[in-house]
Amino acid sequence: MAVSLDRQRKVITGNAAAAYAAMLCRPDVVAAYPITPQSEVVEQLAKFHADGWLDCEYVTVEGENSAQNVVCAATMAGGRAFTATSSYGLVYMYDAMFNTAGYRAPVVMVNVNREPPGIHAVCAGQQDMISVRDTGWVQLVVENCQEILDTVIMAFRLAEDFEIQLPVMVNYDGYYLSFLAESVDIPGIAEVDRYLEVLKSQPRRPRLLPGQAVGCGSHGIGTGYVELRKKHMAAMERVKSKLEEIEEEFAAMFGRKYGGQIEEYRTDDAEILLVTSGSAVGTARTVIDAKRAEGINVGLVKLRLFRPFPRERLSEVLRGRKAIGVLDRSICFGWDCGPLYMEIRALTPEVGIVPMLSFIDGLANMDITKEHIGQMIDAIVSAAQKKSYRQVTWLP
Amino acid sequence: MAEARKRRPRVCDYYQNEDQFARGVALCAGCALELNLRFVSRVLGKDVILVGTPSCSAPVLHGQNTKAWHRHPYYACVMTGVASSATGLTRYYEKAGIEATVVCHTGDGCAMDVGFQTLSGAAERNEKMIYITYDNEGYMNTGIQQSSGTPYGAATTTTPLGQASRGKSTAAKNMPMIVAMHDVPYVATATLSHLEDYAKKLVKAKAAAKEGFAYIHVFCPCVPGWRIPSDASIQVCRVAVRTNYFPLWEKEQGVWRITYKVRDPQPLSELTRLVGKLRHLDEDEVARLQAQVDYRYRVLEALCAAFG
Ligand SMILES: Cc1ncc(C[n+]2csc(CCOP(=O)(O)OP(=O)(O)O)c2C)c(N)n1
Ligand code: SF4
Repeated sequence: MAVSLDRQRKVITGNAAAAYAAMLCRPDVVAAYPITPQSEVVEQLAKFHADGWLDCEYVTVEGENSAQNVVCAATMAGGRAFTATSSYGLVYMYDAMFNTAGYRAPVVMVNVNREPPGIHAVCAGQQDMISVRDTGWVQLVVENCQEILDTVIMAFRLAEDFEIQLPVMVNYDGYYLSFLAESVDIPGIAEVDRYLEVLKSQPRRPRLLPGQAVGCGSHGIGTGYVELRKKHMAAMERVKSKLEEIEEEFAAMFGRKYGGQIEEYRTDDAEILLVTSGSAVGTARTVIDAKRAEGINVGLVKLRLFRPFPRERLSEVLRGRKAIGVLDRSICFGWDCGPLYMEIRALTPEVGIVPMLSFIDGLANMDITKEHIGQMIDAIVSAAQKKSYRQVTWLP
Repeated sequence: MAEARKRRPRVCDYYQNEDQFARGVALCAGCALELNLRFVSRVLGKDVILVGTPSCSAPVLHGQNTKAWHRHPYYACVMTGVASSATGLTRYYEKAGIEATVVCHTGDGCAMDVGFQTLSGAAERNEKMIYITYDNEGYMNTGIQQSSGTPYGAATTTTPLGQASRGKSTAAKNMPMIVAMHDVPYVATATLSHLEDYAKKLVKAKAAAKEGFAYIHVFCPCVPGWRIPSDASIQVCRVAVRTNYFPLWEKEQGVWRITYKVRDPQPLSELTRLVGKLRHLDEDEVARLQAQVDYRYRVLEALCAAFG
């Protein structure tokens, strides 16, 4: 592929969009291990590097666990680092992810959503990202190729912000987005430099350098540990407003924005709402339009920020509706429902008691079709009319 | 006249700086690992960055809610991520043009078992670092369990003696040989009874780490784990060398060399007699261990003869 670092519009896959974005942010160190459906990101970055477009240390690690440790340490030394993975690769770096977050290492990682378990489950599903939600990473979920590119750039801005200093994971659906080719507006590297320039004016975080009696990586025990956990938690809470702030900066420069923590679609006068995330949002939008044309007052909420969970904004938008449906592409053991659904149900004190319906669809590359979403909306309508309803529905 | 006579360098000639470790650190009295840490630090210099893990050395290297008990820059990581974390550091320094020597310092349990993959990966990529394994032949920090560095016959808490068990039933991995087969610039074995030999190897490793991966495997007895008296660890090191149980050798840029030739090796019973965890071995079992030791030594000699 002919590469240019000037602004250009190109038809590229979601994976290529992630690789372009990472390259444009000039990482010092890239370390990643291939796994379907992410491999193209690794290959693309290797090619950018081989062709001299990407001036970084490119580490061909022997596994994801090492990839995560490499990028964590590289940022602790003061560098900018990027990695990408999926599914088993993500869970194979699980132990290291706790450290990256606990050390407040501002790593940026792309996770291309894919199911575990089963080595043949080489197919889309969000179970991987759900399973690492308590590692202390910021987690974003995106909908299309342009948003992948833009969000990876914003992820560096967010991760390295002095008030945040947390690793950020950008999630997008395997297959539906990883291999989907769309027309993408790719910014020039000079514009991206300008967007990230503000980071240079911020105080510099301590870094591990030779000759200094500085250590890193011990959380201590007892009160020392608790202090670091509290600070980590507070930084996580700051992500919510910071994300909206940096997205405004992004919009001012590049002319695109995504709503920050959540995006609302036709919610203003909606009596019922559907909440979902990832590539299903595009399909849902079309169905919402069709249902609106039929006279059903339905709106859509797209969840962009999964960790921290946008409690406040969600409570605000969900309050006062007659019924709410949540579409999950993964499952939640122990609660017998979808995991996003479970978290949204936890907002009941803020939102009020209304019917809440869990829809589990799209596991293992099963298409979340317009028909399915139509059925979901019909079920939410029926529940809003106080008819009896099924709390959890698996589709198809 | 006296000036013309060439003085053999002494160990202290290799010291770069004062001891960088505090006194009274949280290691057992007579722990060989403590001497190893202090020695490595003095020979390699105080600027080197240490990378370490959960292990007996952890309380000293990390500190626990206190300052660490040394003045080195230090990076703590999980047992699975030592060589990879060191890679992250060195690659960034490389990119940023920062001159640094990064030294991984782990037990055999980390290097040979749970951290083996990443060590092998870093060696294969020829990452520029020094990896020092202090081999106390087991997981000591967690209570003296067997590792793949534990020798045949040794009693540990997971290979205990019992009606149906005579200790560990398989041999230890020949770890330095395995790393040597990665064809990295420098691999050596060393121990704390032969400090000049060890110091020279550290100096070579530091130079080699400018080009790629340097590995030193250090025989490092453990007082409670091996059931030896606290004043016996250095003696055990010496006997391990004299019995060829732990031969001192190096492989430098493809050239193999035994750096301390033992003229009349002592029988292995000299070692098994000293070390509590091996003392129960009967004649046949000692003979079996002796056969393993002899076999490995012949392999080493053959390599030195062919590529010396
Ligand atoms: C992934 C992982 N598994 C298990 C442990 C528990 N653990 C802590 S120290 C240790 C033993 C380390 O053995 P070694 O590396 O030989 O060092 P030594 O204790 O002998 O100094 C183990 C198993 C851990 N910290 N991390
Ligand atoms: S248990 Fe062994 S290795 Fe650990 S501190 Fe004591 S003597 Fe040293």
